[in-house]
Amino acid sequence: MHDDLDTREREPWYRSKTFKRFRRNPLAIVGAVMLLGFVVVALFAPAITAPQLAESRTARPCLRDLGVKRTEVVSALRNPLNKIFWKAVLTPPESCYSIPRASYSPLPKPPSEKHPLGLSGNSYDILYGLVWGTRTAFYVGFLVVGISLMIGIVMGGMAGFVGGWVDNFIMRVTDVMLSFPGLVFVMIVASIFGSGLTQVMLALAVIGWAGYARLFRGDILKTKAQDFVDAARALGASPLRIFWKHVFPNAIGTLVILASMDIGSVVLSAAGLSFLGLGAPVGYADWGQMTSFARGYILGTAQGSPFDFWYVWIYPSLMIVLFVLAWNLLGDAVRDALDPKS
Amino acid sequence: MFNYITRRLLQIPVVLFVLSLIIMGLMQLLSPEQRAAAFVTSDKQIENLDLIIEKYHLREGFVVQYKLWAGEVLRGNLGFSRISKEPVLTTIRKRFPASMELALAAFVPIVLVGVWLGTQAATHRDSLLDQLLRVVAIVGWSLPTFVVAIWLVAWIYGGLGWFGIGRLPSSLLIELAGGDFKKYTGLFTIDGLLNGRLDITLEALKRLVLPAAALVIVVSAGIMRVMRSSMLDELGKDYVRTARAKGLAEKTVVYKHARRNALIPVITMAGPMLGRMIGGIVVIELIFNFPGLGEWAAKAALQLDVTTLLAFVMLIGLIMAVANLLVDIAYVVVDPRIRYE
Repeated sequence: MHDDLDTREREPWYRSKTFKRFRRNPLAIVGAVMLLGFVVVALFAPAITAPQLAESRTARPCLRDLGVKRTEVVSALRNPLNKIFWKAVLTPPESCYSIPRASYSPLPKPPSEKHPLGLSGNSYDILYGLVWGTRTAFYVGFLVVGISLMIGIVMGGMAGFVGGWVDNFIMRVTDVMLSFPGLVFVMIVASIFGSGLTQVMLALAVIGWAGYARLFRGDILKTKAQDFVDAARALGASPLRIFWKHVFPNAIGTLVILASMDIGSVVLSAAGLSFLGLGAPVGYADWGQMTSFARGYILGTAQGSPFDFWYVWIYPSLMIVLFVLAWNLLGDAVRDALDPKS
Repeated sequence: MFNYITRRLLQIPVVLFVLSLIIMGLMQLLSPEQRAAAFVTSDKQIENLDLIIEKYHLREGFVVQYKLWAGEVLRGNLGFSRISKEPVLTTIRKRFPASMELALAAFVPIVLVGVWLGTQAATHRDSLLDQLLRVVAIVGWSLPTFVVAIWLVAWIYGGLGWFGIGRLPSSLLIELAGGDFKKYTGLFTIDGLLNGRLDITLEALKRLVLPAAALVIVVSAGIMRVMRSSMLDELGKDYVRTARAKGLAEKTVVYKHARRNALIPVITMAGPMLGRMIGGIVVIELIFNFPGLGEWAAKAALQLDVTTLLAFVMLIGLIMAVANLLVDIAYVVVDPRIRYE
């Protein structure tokens, strides 16, 4: 009897109606292409910024950690046959995330041949910050969503499967968390733990799980009410087996897809906090931190010439917008495909 | 209805209690010296931190400390804010009206624009207009508030020299501090009218345009999407078909029948949104140099002023609870069929 069941294969996901709806949405294609661009930039960040690394004195720690000589940087980082190329792409040392400085001059400099997007205040290379900032953005997005998704699955799973007072208690906690503005909570947690990118990411993850817990609980309750779960129970399966073999795999899919679409908004919150000065330290390759230079160079300049230092803040803010836009275009298409009525 | 409201009002202290437990719990991670700052009421006392630690038993366990803190708060002593260099309550009284004014100035256009565009998108479903509005909404949703705010400040205020930042020009502020301008509400736009000083109202309004515009661009997209989908839901219902069948004009059907029912989810979303805004739109207030609650809290967070942050959380908790209660009451106003037992 088992063999019978196993030969009837499931429809592969790429042939499902949901995926077809998704594929036919032009906005989804635009989002996917944009995102692909960001992935390429993030992956090949060392190769793209090799000249800047070779140029600047302040990039020495990064070169030392990579184990490459100054004169060989460009040829090593742009040659896929070289071991250092792969080391830089796959496990770049932390020191490479600090933006190299061309000099110690406090004034921004417009784009030039050596620095294609110009230098921001204190001579940080803008192109370098943007390119490596893409890595930071992916890192922050995936890590925060991953952690809060895990907390959400554990809490929502307990609430949905155990039920009773556990359910009641967890749901009341999510009530409080969802009704309270997240940014305020993150500000407090960050101020207590001290500011820094890690602290902000932790705070965002600790705040973000409530929504996922609710969604997962709902999905579990829906799945639990279906006939095959009753059938498994009638066959004498233990509650744990029912949960892991029958309920969990059926409830998890939508949740993971919907959660991954939140990566854009997580990056947006993190950028806002970095902008406030709670996130990455000055000089770290992070778009929000780079945009915060704008405060000095818009409000500080004389009336009537706010665009003198346009390159300092327009590029990083555009990167944030495009990154979030790519995720939101995808996310909108995904939600549409999952729920065709709306 | 009355019973329901009383019950909800009684829940507010419970919410505040839970919030304060969370915050006090987090505070246990700080050193006794850092926590002592929560009890300091003047600059001079900061020098005697050891005495304060002794006096308030800050080296003792959580329960003792919580009782002491709660006692102080119940007596109306929320502590001393290092950032504003005055008791927390005084600062809240000063800054609350500013945030309130900004929140209202942004909230009204956000809801009107969101509801209007959402209705248009729903009645022209799948047309070019709908598709266009959809893209506009996704783009608006993807813009970080601080980016929009910076662009507006640079282009409109910096480049064209229009409108202004801050709450009032400093010359007027100095005049108000000394003169016989009576503060009825603390909202300059309304106080200006009540005092017969139209120039103050106009100046205050001028300075609200840019921050409100930044928020409208970002936030109304969400309202619009909710309005669109709930409007589509309503337009597909039987009573709409009946209304059309009996020959009512399309306008009456859409605006009088369907839209009123479609507003319920919008209210659910808009109420807490207003609460969040009154609590201070941190980034907007910072960029537009607007002396509201959010700006104060942001500075407190940067300088680890825990007293200020604690008071801020309690205040936000209170505002959010009230906002949620108002949402429940608004349901009854919009849809008289809703009753609370």
